[in-house]
Amino acid sequence: MACSITIRDVRKTYGQFVALDSVALDIAPGEFLTLLGPSGSGKTTLLMILAGFIRPEAGSITVDSDEILRKPPHLRNIGMVFQNYALFPHMSVGENVGYPLKLRKVGAAERYERAREALKLVQLDHLMDRRINQLSGGQRQRVALARAIVFEPQILLMDEPLSALDKKLREQMQIELKHLHDRLGMTTVYVTHDQREALTMSDRVAVMNHGHILQVAPPREIYERPCDRFVADFVGESNFLPVEMRGDAATFGGAPLQLAEGQSAGSGNKALLVRPEKLDILGATPAPEHNPIDGTVEELVYQGETMLIYVTLTSGETIALRRGTRQQALSEMPRVGEPIRLGLHRDDTVLIDEAAHA
Amino acid sequence: MHLPIKLTACAVLAFTTAATAQEVTVASWGGSYQDAQSKAMFQPTAKELGITVKEATLSGLADIRLQVRSGAVEWDVVDLGATDCAIGAREGLFEKLDYSVIDAQGIDDKMVKDHWIGVIYYSTVPAWNTATVKDGPQSWADFWNVKDFPGDRSLRNRPQVMLEMALLADGVAPKDLYPLDVDRAFAKIEELKPDIATWWESGAQSVQLAKDGEIDMIAAWDGRLSAAIADKAAIDFTYNEGLLNADCLAVPKGAPNKELAMKAIAKFVSPEQQATLTQHISYGPVNVRAFETGLIPEEAQGKINTFPANLEKQIVVDAEWWGENGNRMRERWDSMIQR
Amino acid sequence: MHDMTAPQGGHALNRKELAADERREKRQILGLSLPAAAIILVLLVIPVGWLFALSFVSNGEIGLANYTRMIEYSAYLSIFSTTILISLFVTLLCIVLGYPVAYLLGQMPPRLATIGLAFVIIPFWTSILVRTYAWLVILQRQGIVNDALIGIGLIDEPLRLAHNLTGTVIGMTHVMLPFLVLPLYATVRNIDGDLMRAANNMGASPARAFRDVFLPLSMPGLIAGSLLVFILCLGFYVTPQILGGGRVIMVSMKIQQNVQTYFDWGAGSALGVVLLLIVFAIFYLVHRLAGLDRIFAR
Repeated sequence: MACSITIRDVRKTYGQFVALDSVALDIAPGEFLTLLGPSGSGKTTLLMILAGFIRPEAGSITVDSDEILRKPPHLRNIGMVFQNYALFPHMSVGENVGYPLKLRKVGAAERYERAREALKLVQLDHLMDRRINQLSGGQRQRVALARAIVFEPQILLMDEPLSALDKKLREQMQIELKHLHDRLGMTTVYVTHDQREALTMSDRVAVMNHGHILQVAPPREIYERPCDRFVADFVGESNFLPVEMRGDAATFGGAPLQLAEGQSAGSGNKALLVRPEKLDILGATPAPEHNPIDGTVEELVYQGETMLIYVTLTSGETIALRRGTRQQALSEMPRVGEPIRLGLHRDDTVLIDEAAHA
Repeated sequence: MHLPIKLTACAVLAFTTAATAQEVTVASWGGSYQDAQSKAMFQPTAKELGITVKEATLSGLADIRLQVRSGAVEWDVVDLGATDCAIGAREGLFEKLDYSVIDAQGIDDKMVKDHWIGVIYYSTVPAWNTATVKDGPQSWADFWNVKDFPGDRSLRNRPQVMLEMALLADGVAPKDLYPLDVDRAFAKIEELKPDIATWWESGAQSVQLAKDGEIDMIAAWDGRLSAAIADKAAIDFTYNEGLLNADCLAVPKGAPNKELAMKAIAKFVSPEQQATLTQHISYGPVNVRAFETGLIPEEAQGKINTFPANLEKQIVVDAEWWGENGNRMRERWDSMIQR
Repeated sequence: MHDMTAPQGGHALNRKELAADERREKRQILGLSLPAAAIILVLLVIPVGWLFALSFVSNGEIGLANYTRMIEYSAYLSIFSTTILISLFVTLLCIVLGYPVAYLLGQMPPRLATIGLAFVIIPFWTSILVRTYAWLVILQRQGIVNDALIGIGLIDEPLRLAHNLTGTVIGMTHVMLPFLVLPLYATVRNIDGDLMRAANNMGASPARAFRDVFLPLSMPGLIAGSLLVFILCLGFYVTPQILGGGRVIMVSMKIQQNVQTYFDWGAGSALGVVLLLIVFAIFYLVHRLAGLDRIFAR
């Protein structure tokens, strides 16, 4: 029932500005794929092209080997949730959700039933007769979602649908959306600039910048093994440390770097990616599987669930590490000004190509 | 509130009385008409009587009604349309004229009434655009004859004079015109209605319509037409069956300088001043003796509507009849136009 | 006991002073609205009241003469019906011509729309009289339109475009168009483009999306604009006077005629009162059908 999407060589420019530069992407049937990137990266342009609201200059988009690029939007049968929900203010909740069915000439009784079903999925079936302006932001979000899925499209597009919600509601909705996707199984393309949202919900994430797709991979791979510095920097918190290359071996602070199994330093300029939560504080006990990093404690920042420790390295850079705030950990916290030895496990040691995005 | 105004009025009065012994205030319609009156009548009268003639402008009978009813009459002599004079007289807004002071000899009886006297004549005549009409209508019957005189027509959007016109076109003899056979007149106008392209409102508009060729034939005022012809407009007209209407002079009831007003009116309607006026504006003198003064050049006389040769072709409109029936006619006229 | 006294003292703290502040603020707001209220009273309530009172005075006598006259002569009924019909027709024409303009302006990028809007507003800078005479020049028997049509051989005889209903309607529509476009544009501009896209996305053709979404959402502006045009039309004087050739008589013209004919304000006031009542009736009707509060309070 769900269908695949194949995007080939899609290009769109606005004057000198290249919004999309020959983008290619394959989306599997039933997949939840997120387009992640900063504003102006081309992610929304790509979504709008999928929906049919923007005409690209060239390229091909096939849905189950059906070319859709020249189809007008209303014939594409693709559901979409807009950033500001785009609910019709002159219709009630029920009328909004029933509207796609009305367009498909579904009778009033069945329309009502199916609209109620869709609203039930988002737990709003008790608000069918409300007007849109009587709803809260979260409720509107759900109505928009119900409206986009009520006609059972094979593809669902979502354009930053949670960006207007507060943090708590957003996180709750992320899980709900994911569950809903699991139940309905429609191929979903989701646009966001929130990397945590992307990681939470997606089967795969496509990171975009300057009209290019830089990496398409499952969330875990995007986070743990980013392909370049931009992806590493955009997704999660990161410290980058310079690495000296001797032949095909890398050294940091004079000592050779131990790498995870299967990883090789390769050639060219590299940087060591250090995520704050990956760092350990090494005591006097030797830890042979860790790459040691020495420095002085610069500042402690208490953030509730974690504590951020800024450390100035002997080489001059400042990096951050994160510790939990259990009482025992707090009592063992280093003090500002104290020397500290940090350790990065060799399995967490990731080298990033420097040349790509200098 | 009232006191300062009265005080000021007193002060002004005291000042003016001190400056000149006697004065009279005349209200007329402004524009080129009053300019002409001022040159031919008001200024000479001031000189001859040794008084001051102050000028004011009015906008109609309503002004006089307001002054008389509020008891604050400022004007001694007013110039109005003859019908308004007839209405005003019936409402008792005017002083009786003193015909021992005013010499009405040479003025048509229809223009000499207890409470008002005519001052100038204007005539509503058949006119045509010479560019589109070769042989113009020589009577109202011709004007109504759309078969032999094809073309778009225009009449004034008022019943006054138009009803007379219709009756003449329908074969009523001039002497039998009054009282008007209203039903017959309206029926005759209905007959011409399909060929009337425009019902004109203002004098300026009527001339514009004729000049621009917007219409082919029009019933319009001779003074306006003459001025346009002098400006080389392609227009011609005839005095045949022209309908003479007058402006009149009256003295508002309670005028401050009543006696002097009579003397001034006597001057205004005198043959000399009447003759002089024709040199400043193309209206006809009400006093036919003006032609005997020698003040109007021979070649100009034939062009004046009250020149005896022209006068005998025309009919004088009965202002009294209109004063009595004007409003009823106006309502009926509007109903007719609307249909 | 100690615990009880503390909160009690807290409730009374600054209580009087804060209440006084509140009252003073309310007085200030009331004071600010006073000039507006005075202006409405002086410019609206008093003149209309005076008008109403005058309409019962005829020739210095109190009575219904000014109203009975309206029943007596058939002209009055036809003048009122002509006025309403012309106003309706002009309003309809303004909608037909003005809606696409407002729609187009609404779709334009703001800077371009501002320029377009200027073209809509510029005619406001010329007096109605001048514009109406311009139409006379264009429409008359030897005017531009007839000359052009005869020139290209489309017609032999000039069309009668001026001095009648046709000319009046053309002239009035031209004058009234901005009054429809401006409020409509303000509404249309605020319709979120995503709403149309959403309808499209759900399967509505552009025409269907317009009918189901855009049109209903533009209704408040359309009704406000139409009402404005219609009511302004009811009181129109200059254009029918000049372009109507005497045969198009609207209420305002009759008011002027009556003042002239009867030398009496009352004769005109009565017509004004009836016209005002008609306007009220129309407002009430629209209110019942569409809810004026919704239209104007948006």
